Amino acid sequence: MDALVYYSKAEFIETDTGNKVSRRATIAGPQNIILGGKTIISSGAIIRGDLRRTGPGHAVVVSLGRYCLVGDGCIMRPPYKTYRGNFNYYPMKIGDHVHIGANSVIEAATIGNHVIIGKNCIVGKFTIIKDCAQVADNTVIPPNAVIPALALFAGSPGRFVEDLPESTQEMVEAQTKQYYTRFQPLDR
Amino acid sequence: MWPRIQYYCPCMSGSNLQTPPPPTLTSSSASFHPLHNLYFCEECDAVRCNRCVSVEVSGYYCPNCLFEVPSASVRAEKNRCARNCFSCPICRSTLSVVASDPPDDGDGRPSASLGNVGEAPYFLYCGHCRWDSAEVNITFEKPTGLAAQLQKFEDSAPESLEFERLKEHFEPFLRTSSLTSSSHLPAMSSHHLHPSSATAAASAALARDIPGVGKYNPLARSRAGRDRTANKDEMPEYKSRVETAVFSQLGGGGDDADVDLLRHMETVEEVAKLEQRWGNSWTTPPRSSDLRPHRIPLHSKVSKRCPACRHILIKPEQKAQSVRYKIKLVAANYLPAITVGFPQTGATKRMAGKVPSSGTDAKSGIMHAGTSNPFQLALTNPLYDPIQVRLSPQRVADGRSYQVSLPTSPFSVAAFAEAWEYDDDEDMFGVEDDELGIGTDTGRSVRDKAPRGRLKNVGILERKANVTVVGGEVNIKPGFKGNVKFNMMVSYTYRSDDPLPSEDGVGTPSRTTKVPEVKTFSFYTAVDLGSSMVSNDDKPADV
Repeated sequence: MDALVYYSKAEFIETDTGNKVSRRATIAGPQNIILGGKTIISSGAIIRGDLRRTGPGHAVVVSLGRYCLVGDGCIMRPPYKTYRGNFNYYPMKIGDHVHIGANSVIEAATIGNHVIIGKNCIVGKFTIIKDCAQVADNTVIPPNAVIPALALFAGSPGRFVEDLPESTQEMVEAQTKQYYTRFQPLDR
Repeated sequence: MWPRIQYYCPCMSGSNLQTPPPPTLTSSSASFHPLHNLYFCEECDAVRCNRCVSVEVSGYYCPNCLFEVPSASVRAEKNRCARNCFSCPICRSTLSVVASDPPDDGDGRPSASLGNVGEAPYFLYCGHCRWDSAEVNITFEKPTGLAAQLQKFEDSAPESLEFERLKEHFEPFLRTSSLTSSSHLPAMSSHHLHPSSATAAASAALARDIPGVGKYNPLARSRAGRDRTANKDEMPEYKSRVETAVFSQLGGGGDDADVDLLRHMETVEEVAKLEQRWGNSWTTPPRSSDLRPHRIPLHSKVSKRCPACRHILIKPEQKAQSVRYKIKLVAANYLPAITVGFPQTGATKRMAGKVPSSGTDAKSGIMHAGTSNPFQLALTNPLYDPIQVRLSPQRVADGRSYQVSLPTSPFSVAAFAEAWEYDDDEDMFGVEDDELGIGTDTGRSVRDKAPRGRLKNVGILERKANVTVVGGEVNIKPGFKGNVKFNMMVSYTYRSDDPLPSEDGVGTPSRTTKVPEVKTFSFYTAVDLGSSMVSNDDKPADV
C-alpha cells in the first residue's frame, strides 16, 4: 500500500536490463562501471568509475548488483592506498538488493547482498560489509572496518548495536523489489 | 513510523491466547513485536518471540576478522579474538597494524625501502580517532601474532596472576566437592516441601561452586548440620602473595595520587570515561592516556528453541558469515502479513497540497478528529492454501475516544504461489502498483480512485494475487488527542489438503498434513494509526 515514487521521465535513462540512471547523476568512466539490472542511480549521485587501477587492460572499478539504489547525492568512490610504494585504486564490489541512502559517501571495498545503508553515512576506505548487514542513518564507519553479517551498526565511529532478525534477507529482498516497482515515470 | 501494526506474543501472559493488554498502556509494547521478529512453533501451534525462546550458542566468531573460533579455545582465549584484532581504547573502533615510516634519507623523497612492506617497529593505529599504540609504549617487532605478544602484558598483570593462583588453589577442592555434592544434593532438595526446580538448581549450583554455602542454605539447614563434618573439608587457607593495598594502587596511584591527578587536569577528556573502562576485567587507570587496546570480544551465532516443547525454531548454518539457516521457523511464513495504510484519497491529497513532498506515505496526523477516517489493511497470505480471514477489533475501553469499524464477515485471501513473484520479477515494464491496483494509467488514476474509495470505506476493496485489501473506518470523537490504537484479533482458517509433498527447504510454508482438514489459528495484533489532527491546521504536539 506504499505510495508510488515518481520521477520525471525526461530525467532518467532506462537501460535494456531495467537500470534507471538519472541524467543529473555524475557517472565518471562509465565503461568501468557495471550495473546488474533494475538498479536505480538517483539524481546528484556521483560514481567515480574513472578512478581505475593503473595498468593495461580493462578494469572494472565499481560493480553494482541487481535491485540496488544509489540515493540522491551519494558519492561512490573506489578505495585507494599506497602499497609497496605504489599508489593505486582498488575495485568496489556491491552485491544485489543494496540500498544506499541519500548523501552517503561510500568508499567500501566490498558490500554484500541485502545490505541497507542509511542517509548521510560515511563508509570508510576498504570497509567490508557482509550480507544482510545494516548501517543506521548518520553513521561514520572508519576505514578498514568489517561489518559482520546480520549486524546493525550505528554511531560515530560506527559500532555494533544489535543482531538483526533471521528474516532480514527476505524483508530486504521484498523491500528492494517493491521499491523498484514503485519507482515509476511521470510524463510531464 | 505510523501507521503500523504489531503482532502479539502471549509469553508475558499466563495462558495461551489470553487477551492482550490494551494498547493504550505503555507496558503493552513489551508484548507486541513486528511480524518479522517472531517465530512460529509448529508443534505447539504458537507464536514465539525473542523474549521467550531459549537460546543456545552454536558457534563463536570474531566480528572483525570473521574467524570462527572453536568453542574449545574460547575459554582459553578469554572470549576475545586471539589473532590481530584490537579495539581502540578511546573510541572502540578497530585498530589497524601500521609500520613505522622508513628513515628519511634527507632528500625528502621516499627512500628505496618503501618498496618493502614496512619497517619495524609496528604499532596499532586507530583510523577514526588517530590514537596509536606508541602512545602507551606498545610496539611490535613483527606484524603477526600480535595478540600473543600482548597476551604477555595481560598475563603478567598482578590481578591476572592473583586470579590464576586463586583458581589453582580452589581447583582440587572443587573437584572433590563436586563429587560429594552430586551425591548429597539431590537428597537435600527432596527434603524441601515445595521444591521449585529453579531454586533447587540454583542452590545446587551455588553449593557446588562455593564450598560451605550449603550449610547456610535455610532450606537445608537441618540437613547441613549433619553434612558439616563432611563438607568442611580440609581446605587450606589461601595466602595472597600480593598485599591488598597494592591493588588499590594499580589504577594509578591511590587516593592522594588521584587527587593530585585531578588537580592538574585541564580537560574532561583526560579522565577515562566509564564506557572506556567497564569492558576491562581488571582495574584500569583513571587517565584516558593510559588506556590500553583490547582484544575484540567474540560474537556468537545462536540457535533458538521453543520454550515449551524444546523444538528448534532457528538453527544457523555452521559457517559464521552465512545468512542461511538449516531450520528457520519464522512467523512470517505462517501468519498473514498485514500492512496498514491510508487510502490515497481526500486526506492524503489535502496533505499533499500542503506538504510539497507528497511522495512518501503520510507520516502522522492525516486523520481528523470529529469525523470518520478511512484506513486500509492489506493482508498477504504466505501459505500455499487459500485462507479465510476474520478480523475482530477489540472494543476500545473508553467510548469517549474513537470507534473502529471493520468488515465483520470472513473474507478470503488467495494462496501464495511462486509464479506471482516470478511475474513481478520479469514484467517490469508497465507493471503498476500491485497493491493499489490502479488501472493502466498511473498518476491520474490515483486521484480517480478517490470517489470509489469513499463510496465503500468498510469492506473488501481489492483482491490481487495473494493480497486482499480491506477498508475500515475509525470514528474519532471531537477533542480526542493522542494516538489511535486498537487491538485486533485475526482468525484465519486454512484447508491443509495439499496433495503435493511439501518442499522442506528453508522458508517454505509447509503446512501439509495427511488428511484434508480445516484448521483455525487466531492471533492478536495491535494497530497504531498514529495521531489525529487536532484542528485543521494544527499539527499534533506528540509527533
